[in-house]
Amino acid sequence: MSKRCLTTLLIVLASLATLNATGPDRSHSYTLALHDHGLLYSAATNAGIDKDVADELIRRSGCKVTVSLMARARIWQLIESGSLDFSLSGITDAERDKFAAFAWYFSDKFYLLVRKDAAIRNQADFEKNGRLQLGVIRSFRYSESANRLADRLQEANRLSQAGGLEPLYQLLVQNQIQGMIIEPFDYPALQEKQIRDISTIVELPDPPVPHGLIMSKKALPAPEQEKWRSLIQDMRKDGTMLHIFEKYFKPELAASLVNF
Amino acid sequence: MTSDRNPISVTRLLPWLVLMAMLVLTWGLWDHERQVSRKELHAQFEFALRDTVSRIEQGDSAYEQMLRGLQALFATTDLTSRDAVRAYVETLQIDANFSGIQAFGVIQWVPMARKPAHLAAMRHLGLPAYALLPPGEREQYAPVIQSVPDLGSRRQALGQDAWADPVRRQAMEKARDSGLPAISEKLGAPPGPGRDTAPGFVMYLPVYARGAALESIDQRRANLLGWVYSSFGMNDFMASLYGKPAPGISLSLFDGVSPSEASLLFQAGTPAWDGAASRGSALSAREYIVLSGHTWTLCLSTEDSFEARFGRKNDRVIAVIGVCLSLSMALLVWYMIAGRAHALRLADAMTEQLRHLAQHDTLTGLPNRALFSDRVRQKLADANRRGGHVAMVFIDLDRFKQVNDGHGHAVGDLLLQEVAKRISESVRASDTVGRIGGDEFVALMGDLPDADSALRIAEKIRLAFAQPFRINDLEFSASCSMGIAVYPGDGSDEATLTKSADQAMYRAKEAGRNCMKQAAVP
Repeated sequence: MSKRCLTTLLIVLASLATLNATGPDRSHSYTLALHDHGLLYSAATNAGIDKDVADELIRRSGCKVTVSLMARARIWQLIESGSLDFSLSGITDAERDKFAAFAWYFSDKFYLLVRKDAAIRNQADFEKNGRLQLGVIRSFRYSESANRLADRLQEANRLSQAGGLEPLYQLLVQNQIQGMIIEPFDYPALQEKQIRDISTIVELPDPPVPHGLIMSKKALPAPEQEKWRSLIQDMRKDGTMLHIFEKYFKPELAASLVNF
Repeated sequence: MTSDRNPISVTRLLPWLVLMAMLVLTWGLWDHERQVSRKELHAQFEFALRDTVSRIEQGDSAYEQMLRGLQALFATTDLTSRDAVRAYVETLQIDANFSGIQAFGVIQWVPMARKPAHLAAMRHLGLPAYALLPPGEREQYAPVIQSVPDLGSRRQALGQDAWADPVRRQAMEKARDSGLPAISEKLGAPPGPGRDTAPGFVMYLPVYARGAALESIDQRRANLLGWVYSSFGMNDFMASLYGKPAPGISLSLFDGVSPSEASLLFQAGTPAWDGAASRGSALSAREYIVLSGHTWTLCLSTEDSFEARFGRKNDRVIAVIGVCLSLSMALLVWYMIAGRAHALRLADAMTEQLRHLAQHDTLTGLPNRALFSDRVRQKLADANRRGGHVAMVFIDLDRFKQVNDGHGHAVGDLLLQEVAKRISESVRASDTVGRIGGDEFVALMGDLPDADSALRIAEKIRLAFAQPFRINDLEFSASCSMGIAVYPGDGSDEATLTKSADQAMYRAKEAGRNCMKQAAVP
């Protein structure tokens, strides 16, 4: 009996040791930055999808992670330099692939949010009308056709760049810009109704773009990245991720975002 | 005809074509250079914009960090530890690098119920005159309980209730609810003498009860102790930023997203926000900077000196040189074509002259034997094809040698010229008269209906000699002996006709000269 107990204890200990070995390195602390962006994170309420994902990730890893708030442009800069370890809900492109690794956890489409009174039915309508201004967030990259639209309008001096979503919504309400590129979680937590009343959504002809945990390649060696990636995978598999998204979206939309 | 004209018109058009091609090329280069130049200017401007935004963000970030230091102080001490705050600020050694800061301060959160205790505590700290300003009963107070150093005009007096000022209150609420730094809207310069009369703003950070849970807004509101703040003069803030402002660029900074006189925070250079549209060539841009949850609008526009500094003037050089080169090239082509046409005309004339010399007798200008033979072949071919007769008449001057011997060759030559003239005048326009030897002429007559027609013309020739010739005031009587051969009766080709006519002519000589003999008649 005691022999059997001992064997059981050994097996439990061994599996605990293995579990510990597969988790991220807890010997040093990490840094993670959030950016104020619609439902992803609102500094005014200190809540959002990214905050929930970060909290859960930190809890599961058991690591000490310092969370701070920064402009998105600054986040990419620090991820590239290796001073910042993580950020959330990032999308990639060829340039970012060089310095950042990703662990995808949701995927969505980009849309053009336009003022109703601008009478725009599609992307081409917006591009053709030389008086319309598009608002974008500095250093943001979107889906392929949205990027192309932004680049072309910048050439034509028709792009208004802002450090965050908040001024863009204000500009849209004031009719200083007539459109902006958004994702489903970009509606502001506070003035959502006012925005919905004056605006309408135009689909962009791009497939959904995966978003994920951003990991600095300089700060985290590939095996470490893999460990964090598997934490995210676990959160997706056991329904935690869906649960987080369901806090902010209707169940069908949450499922469509998370199941890709 | 068309094929003859084309080369001429192409040749005439060539200088214009060259001019057009060169001008198009020049335009292409000029346009390309302009685009490259515009792109470079845009890139420089874009860089200046990025740099300016980055400098402002870095400045804000540095000041934010200093305020976080003060916030951190209250993790170890009480809000009312006046000495600790003073010591902290002194230790910071705020020099010119951070001249944007006018004052650090501490604000205490005082709900109405705690007001008497607060007043008592402040007086107990050695501030007997301490009172809440403006006076009056309110539900909550957020009085300034300490302000160091005592430098700026924006410094709030002790006891001043920041909560009573809607602008300050809004930022304080934002900081309280988020736990993050918050910047106030624009604050006008306070009245009275001061170091900085420019607008300014205040940055707040909340201070919560130590160890309290701060996850939700409610928790943060419930555990609020107060705020730390730093107040800024806008001119000093901008002057203290690291890096150098881009030359030739005017900068305006506004509070919020709507530029106006009322929201203007800072201005360097000519106003860049409303006048930009009227200056056609100037580049301008707006960027909405989010600092500590608050938006500022940055308006940049280029002044003339920016373009002078970074713009490439090559497009004008290319245009001028290109147009000059185009004109020179077209002119050169025109000269070459005109020269070639002149040379061709000269060559044509000379060729014509040579051909004439080769085919005519130099003395009389009549066709020589070669040309005459050619004409004979043509007439015979015509007659062969269409029928009809061709007559060949050999004409030999009688006793011409005596003229040469008696009066010299010069007179003889003049006589020959006169004879040639009279023979030519006696025949039809379509007939050919040639000189084939010293005093031997030959006439060729085509399209004759019969052989007798030839005799009549020959008789006309003989009669043309009846009048004496007048050469150098001398009169000469001359006659000729003629032999006539008619195709096809007297010969079927040039050789046989010639032979027949020659023989007939000799027979005329033998018959006593000044007569004509037909080949067919023995």
